[in-house]
Amino acid sequence: MFGRIFVYKFKEIIRNRYMVGWNFLFPIVLATVFYMGFGNLIKDDPDNFHTIEAGYVNTNQEESNFEKVLEELEEETDGNVAILSLKKYDSRQAAMDAMNSDEVFGFYVEDGDEIETIVPKNGYHATIMNQIVREYDNKKNVVETIAKDHPEKIQAAMDMVTDNITIMKEHDFGNNTSPYVQYFFALIAMSSLFSSWISTAILEGICANMTERGKRFECSPTSKLMTILAGICAAMVMQSVSNAVVVIYVQEILKISLGAPLWNIILITTLGSAVGVSSGVLIGSLIKNEKLLIVVPLCFTMTCSFFSGLMWHQIRQYIESRVPIFNRINPASLLVDCLYTRATYGKTSMYYQDIITMSCMVIGCLIISAFLLRRRKYVSL
Amino acid sequence: MSQCVVEIENLVKRYGDKVAVDHFSLNVNEGEILGLLGPNGSGKTTTINCLLSLLQYDKGTVTIFDKEMKPEAYDIKSQIGVVMQNVAVIDTLNVYENVDFFCGLYIRDKATRKQYVEEALEFTGLTEYKKYKPKKLSGGLLRRLNIACGIAHKPKLIIFDEPTVAVDPQSRNAILEGIKKMNKDGATIIYTSHYMEEVEELCSRVVIMDHGKNIANGTTSELKSSLMNRETIRVNLPNKNDEVIKGLKEINHVYKVKEDGDDLVIKCDGGDHNLVHVLSYLTDNNIPFGHVSTELPTLNDVFLEITGKELRD
Repeated sequence: MFGRIFVYKFKEIIRNRYMVGWNFLFPIVLATVFYMGFGNLIKDDPDNFHTIEAGYVNTNQEESNFEKVLEELEEETDGNVAILSLKKYDSRQAAMDAMNSDEVFGFYVEDGDEIETIVPKNGYHATIMNQIVREYDNKKNVVETIAKDHPEKIQAAMDMVTDNITIMKEHDFGNNTSPYVQYFFALIAMSSLFSSWISTAILEGICANMTERGKRFECSPTSKLMTILAGICAAMVMQSVSNAVVVIYVQEILKISLGAPLWNIILITTLGSAVGVSSGVLIGSLIKNEKLLIVVPLCFTMTCSFFSGLMWHQIRQYIESRVPIFNRINPASLLVDCLYTRATYGKTSMYYQDIITMSCMVIGCLIISAFLLRRRKYVSL
Repeated sequence: MSQCVVEIENLVKRYGDKVAVDHFSLNVNEGEILGLLGPNGSGKTTTINCLLSLLQYDKGTVTIFDKEMKPEAYDIKSQIGVVMQNVAVIDTLNVYENVDFFCGLYIRDKATRKQYVEEALEFTGLTEYKKYKPKKLSGGLLRRLNIACGIAHKPKLIIFDEPTVAVDPQSRNAILEGIKKMNKDGATIIYTSHYMEEVEELCSRVVIMDHGKNIANGTTSELKSSLMNRETIRVNLPNKNDEVIKGLKEINHVYKVKEDGDDLVIKCDGGDHNLVHVLSYLTDNNIPFGHVSTELPTLNDVFLEITGKELRD
């Protein structure tokens, strides 16, 4: 029975032109508009890490361990951007010419035991190039000893140096911290909350005090809560797929890096869908008027999305400095914050706090709704 | 003696100060078509909603199939079919899916359900429209779909709540014929309407409601026989005068004669061949007359006599 109702509720949702339009197409259209508006700003953001084009000159006639470290850094790991793209030159002058013609950002000159870093200006890339040399110097003795005594373990020694450089890249300079990416996070939050509308539409067909269909349903020998659960599951599937499509579209088609692995973002947005669906169930259990059941979820979604930064990305920070509690109870802000925290700082306590708060919201909404909807007879119809 | 399928005793339902159903009692016997007749706002739909345990009521008991009706009485609900006053279907599902969805709330076995759904579509003449979405159907076909959704699971008790409101005459006849057939196939039917002609045609017994009360109860002929007026004769009589009216009043069984424009309306309290007697009087006295018609009493007359107002007010 559950499966059959789930299938029919899912059919009801995907055949509803308005739901498909608002929940599937509208976020994609808005994402495209955002991309056209400030996609390039995100891609060119100085905070975004780009592979450093580095030159290398070895005046020594023998192969250097430092050269091996640099070659190691050229290799991409965990799908992240490579730290270096190395170009070798025969002389300092050749490297200097390459730097002046912007062929490389800067270059290293290894002369005897000395390693010199030559960069045209200060900045993130200069800092990273210097840091590489510092890390190498710190561990040079260890690496050289290993290379001499245990050449079979040289790879582990190299990893020891390059790991630190990778960590520095990820954490010192972040993943995608562009403020403009928050617009896309707010867009995903809006898309998630749109599912509240699906929930109210599902309740309409189940509760006798809302529609004639609901009356027909409540005359049948079928459990109301089980049917609502099947409807919630159908709405969740629909919204989760919709969110995943939006995320994939933004990250893979528009090539806007959302700063975290795709699966992680999709998991977070699935939780966002659950928040949207459960808040819709709560709205549906509180409101009887058929027209308000459309208007209220839409207003709820747009209001929450506005305060989460859909139209002005700094509004969240503004609210945080004045009424921080509002950011803690606004589901869209929580979702944006969760995505932003994950993208910028990784899985910090704030990230888990957001996840726990959203989970509590889902559970709370469903418990209150179950309490309100448990009523089996109505005072008036 | 046939079994009592539905028993409502002393039902009271209030909306604030307004009493919608006022100590209403009703018995429905197995195999009958009971007509619940009353003007709009008389409490018919409220009574049905209480009967179905959708509405809380203030007082009284409702028993169906010898068990107390409760919201969780799934064994009783599984034997009831309801055809709502307004069309209650899902717009995004096609005709077949709608009937299958609602039938599936009662029938779990897939093969049985498929058979029932196809039978319901055939019964309502919707087989050729089974791929249509409700929005593509005409008003009459939509009403038939509404009926198919309510009766596909072959219930023993079917409640029709004004199923022919806003339906064209052709579809109305088809619906009434369908209801007769369902009854013939063994279903007990409660039919609410404010159309007395339908109730007279369809129902073996009639309960008349007004202001939430059961004001009359019986077969159509029982109700009509309780009336003083048994026959109304209307004669077009341009040259009428007091003498003619006086003469007509003296005819046996004529108890009232009143003018209505060029017509005279003659009411008789029984007896046979009243029309013959009236026409003989007019002919014997060389009184010229035009069009003549005779009307037997209707349920509207019953309602009029009990409440002093027209059923269609």
